[in-house]
Amino acid sequence: MSCKLGDGRPDLKSYALGELDSRGRQDAENHVAACADCQDELGALRVTLDAMATLREEELPRRIAFVSDKVFEPRWYQKLFLRPSFAAAMVIAAAILVHAFVRPVSLPNATAQMDTRAIEARVAAEVTARVQKEMDLTVTVAVARAVASTEERAAQRTALLLSAADKRYSEDADFLNKQVTRIYALNTGAGVR
Amino acid sequence: MIFREVEDRDLIAKARQGDVEAYNLLVSRWEKRIFNYLLRLVSNREDALDISQETFLKAYQNLRKLDDPARFSAWLFRIAHNEAFSLLRRRKPESELSEPRPRDFGGRMLPMELSLAVESALNVLSEDQREAVLLKVYQGFKFDEMAEILEIPVSTVKSRLYTALDLLKATLAPAVFRKDAGGAL
Repeated sequence: MSCKLGDGRPDLKSYALGELDSRGRQDAENHVAACADCQDELGALRVTLDAMATLREEELPRRIAFVSDKVFEPRWYQKLFLRPSFAAAMVIAAAILVHAFVRPVSLPNATAQMDTRAIEARVAAEVTARVQKEMDLTVTVAVARAVASTEERAAQRTALLLSAADKRYSEDADFLNKQVTRIYALNTGAGVR
Repeated sequence: MIFREVEDRDLIAKARQGDVEAYNLLVSRWEKRIFNYLLRLVSNREDALDISQETFLKAYQNLRKLDDPARFSAWLFRIAHNEAFSLLRRRKPESELSEPRPRDFGGRMLPMELSLAVESALNVLSEDQREAVLLKVYQGFKFDEMAEILEIPVSTVKSRLYTALDLLKATLAPAVFRKDAGGAL
């Protein structure tokens, strides 16, 4: 071949085999159109490929087929794993288990103790506060009841005293009225026998 | 092709769950291509059929190892390639005794003769070269897919294929031109 491009000539075999992109094809076609040697080369390649295309595919002497064979069928657990949802669930479960086994189980003692003491202190404070609150409430109620009872008794006693005083006043007033009426009658002599 | 890939993916998913009928349907879609690829590679119908069956059996057994169902065709041809070369290695001594030579079909060639000339020319190629031609010209794989099937760099794929094309061209083009010249008489 005496193409003037030498080694830089287009890849005519790739072109003939349909492996060049659109730009490569365009370059090859432009060059071949202007180069008699490459036209001959491409012509011979096409003739060769056309000749090869005359070789027809042959039919199989007999069909290939398989019958169901338990040996090759997946087992029940393999079928389960072939389901995406089950496989995903198993992966998540495995991840949780792995995490449970590989995570640091023992926290530092100081931290643990510190946490325990803090919790105990909080519990004690909470209990104390609640007891105090209950006691305050009980005392308040008891005092209120005692005051109310005292006030009630005082009110009853006052009422009795007032009633007795009122009775006594009425009796005194009645006695005085009688005495006044008698004195007047003695002085005037009327109606007194 | 896209629809076919989608349907293949569905069949692969069902076959992975043990659906043998789905796998049989998948086999029926690919068996002719696999058989013809193997037939041209090993040049024996019974061997090609046996290897085809073995290929599909291994594919079924290993279907769960297929990472990307969209790459099923390349993966399947990879299995077929391994099976074929396993056989070729076993029978290497006897095949080395009889080196194939291109037949001279000189003069005008009928279509049948041209097919025979192509077969003869393919048999002159080394196994590696012939396989590169089969995967590219007859199965339509791209260079990168061929590299995946053959587990070689793309540069090696191109090297094998280009050498094979030069040899085929040297054998076939003159015969075809003679045929055309003869046909014009």
